[in-house]
Amino acid sequence: PAALPPAPLGFTDVNLNSRNTYEVSRRRSAPEHLPHGGGTAPAAPAPSPQEPPEKARHRLGIAGAGSSFAEFFTRNFFTKRTKELKPAVQSAPGWKLFGKVPPRENLPKDSKIIQQEYEARTGRMYKPPAPSARRKNIEFEPLSTTALILEDRPANLPAKSVEEALRHRQEYDEMVAEAKKREIKEAHKRKKIMRERFKQEENIASAMVIWVNEILPNWEGMRATRRVRELWWQGLPPSVRGKVWSLAVGNELNITPELYEIFLSRAKERWKSFSETSSENDTEDAGASVADREASLELIKLDISRTFPSLYIFQKGGPYHDLLHSVLGAYTCYRPDVGYVQGMSFIAAVLILNLEEADAFIAFANLLNKPCQLAFFRVDHSMMLKYFAAFEVFFEENLPKLFLHFRSYSLTPDIYLIDWIFTLYSKSLPLDLACRVWDVFCRDGEEFLFRTGLGILRLYEDILLQMDFIHIAQFLTKLPEDITSEKLFSCIAAIQMQNSNKKWAQVFASLMKDNKEGDKNHSPAPKN
Amino acid sequence: MQKHNQKEHLYKLLVIGDLGVGKTSIIKRYVHQNFSPHYRATIGVDFALKVLNWDAETVVRLQLWDIAGQERFGNMTRVYYREAMGAFIVFDVTRPATFEAVTKWKEDLDSKLVLPNGKPVPTVLLANKCDQGIDVLMNNGIKMDQFCKENGFVGWFETSAKENININEASRCLVKHIIASESDPVQSVEPDIIKPHLNSSKIVSCSACFKS
Repeated sequence: PAALPPAPLGFTDVNLNSRNTYEVSRRRSAPEHLPHGGGTAPAAPAPSPQEPPEKARHRLGIAGAGSSFAEFFTRNFFTKRTKELKPAVQSAPGWKLFGKVPPRENLPKDSKIIQQEYEARTGRMYKPPAPSARRKNIEFEPLSTTALILEDRPANLPAKSVEEALRHRQEYDEMVAEAKKREIKEAHKRKKIMRERFKQEENIASAMVIWVNEILPNWEGMRATRRVRELWWQGLPPSVRGKVWSLAVGNELNITPELYEIFLSRAKERWKSFSETSSENDTEDAGASVADREASLELIKLDISRTFPSLYIFQKGGPYHDLLHSVLGAYTCYRPDVGYVQGMSFIAAVLILNLEEADAFIAFANLLNKPCQLAFFRVDHSMMLKYFAAFEVFFEENLPKLFLHFRSYSLTPDIYLIDWIFTLYSKSLPLDLACRVWDVFCRDGEEFLFRTGLGILRLYEDILLQMDFIHIAQFLTKLPEDITSEKLFSCIAAIQMQNSNKKWAQVFASLMKDNKEGDKNHSPAPKN
Repeated sequence: MQKHNQKEHLYKLLVIGDLGVGKTSIIKRYVHQNFSPHYRATIGVDFALKVLNWDAETVVRLQLWDIAGQERFGNMTRVYYREAMGAFIVFDVTRPATFEAVTKWKEDLDSKLVLPNGKPVPTVLLANKCDQGIDVLMNNGIKMDQFCKENGFVGWFETSAKENININEASRCLVKHIIASESDPVQSVEPDIIKPHLNSSKIVSCSACFKS
């Protein structure tokens, strides 16, 4: 426990200070807090090596070789009693007391306890144990069975010879030593895991200090440095995540919080008139486009309750329901030509979880103004096909076998990429992992979205190669929930965004020039 | 694993209709036999596979394409229509606007997809969320029959994914028409080959099963 660094606690405080990161970080930090919960855990097995071997052996011999921490405490509790047993167990006449002999009145006081122990351990073979004995029996089961070797045979069998008894004693000691070795090994393993966890937490905590004290104050100067980019790849500490996202997305549109308020009040007026008249109302100016109609309260409302339903915070009555509604409503007034498009609710929700309301709106509007997002949310089909084509260039380059497998089923990227790109993976990946993808997306731009897609395909390549069309389609539109960031990011890192010396942007640009291909729609056919 | 004399059919079925009418819920009920009020919005397309032991000689595998409902996605999602053999068009009985959109969905479907013989793909209309008891549209079955005839639906069903009403029946109706249109486009479909298991008073027969 002394080794417990103060840093992780400080880190937790920072998490809680930031309202907007709280929901996300709570999910994230729950497992990270485990070491706190079992604060003594890593140290628990530690006393063992320092323990005198004699004592340790007896402790084990009597108490059994448990492995959980709870058992450790139980064992400690019994250590005292074990000490009292020490002479009995060690001396030859002493251990003979364990023999199955009717209770002797003239035994020393200690051996009464020994007798109870004995009966507790052997009771199940001869008679039902007392309730308290049964409990012990379960706890000490593994070695208590082993220790039977020390006992005398039942009266109806020939008694052990001295040599045999000694041999049994030796074998027993060896077994105990073996168990002890195993336990020490496991304890080391546990310690190592704990050390790694602490290290990870320390890393996040120290990364946070670097972000807050060094990088954020010198953002423009440092953002492109190698050191910052490397730190960035590791994942942003939740407490600075929103801030870094905001800075990285930028505010080309020069939206101010006041402008947000203006569009928000406009949206509220519109909703009011929508609910007063009917939604079929055509009294609006003739310029009311499809997008305008889609901005209706109903459409957004329907989707809000279907945004991260498992978090129970965006549903009606949930703490962020109105907030999400406001940001989406204000956006449809700000960009009526784009309007509300499905998928937006997921993006806005992730931003709301990490930023204050007006900042979330500013990041949202600027993010959707990026070329890739604009192409998708305006449902510019020919542009989307260009993105898919560029994706396939790198797909073939990185995963040729899987590429051919998909091609044999006419399984095109629009089957799985649409969901991934529209929601920036926030719907298809666990939220904490999606945030890490967003981190690097903010660093690397649209290219990283497609690289992540290839990383997912790489991660599951072996499984996907065994599947047919419908199973691949099902798999990719509903990814396994146990996907971990370590595995995914090592797969993403292994994806080379380099095609015969051309980078993503160049490949994409050359596809844009190549307009002859036009709107050829490759479409999937059912294959078995 | 199939017997030698067993035929296997693979059909791609589309499930389309306005946003939030319950397309995903219907599919989850049909394939996984469960219901949750907390499904996430579908972006693009989701998939499910349902295997039916149609009769002693026939296994039917249904590839269900659950297509995002927003009108705006029209251009994007029409590529998903290709080579489908049948479709469900779903609306929400509690939202009249979603019924008004049904003809749009049907026209869109027919303009982008025809069977190899040039006929439109068999399509069944599903009036979903019928458990919510709003019978504005449903109080007149004859009107609905008329609507289906006029708009080329092979049948219609009041369904509830929540209460598991009529979903299996609707699927059987659609598959029956697909098999019929596939095996012999001229032959008429007998209305009483398949008797749906009725477990609800709200059952409506497949109105067009007697169509030629």
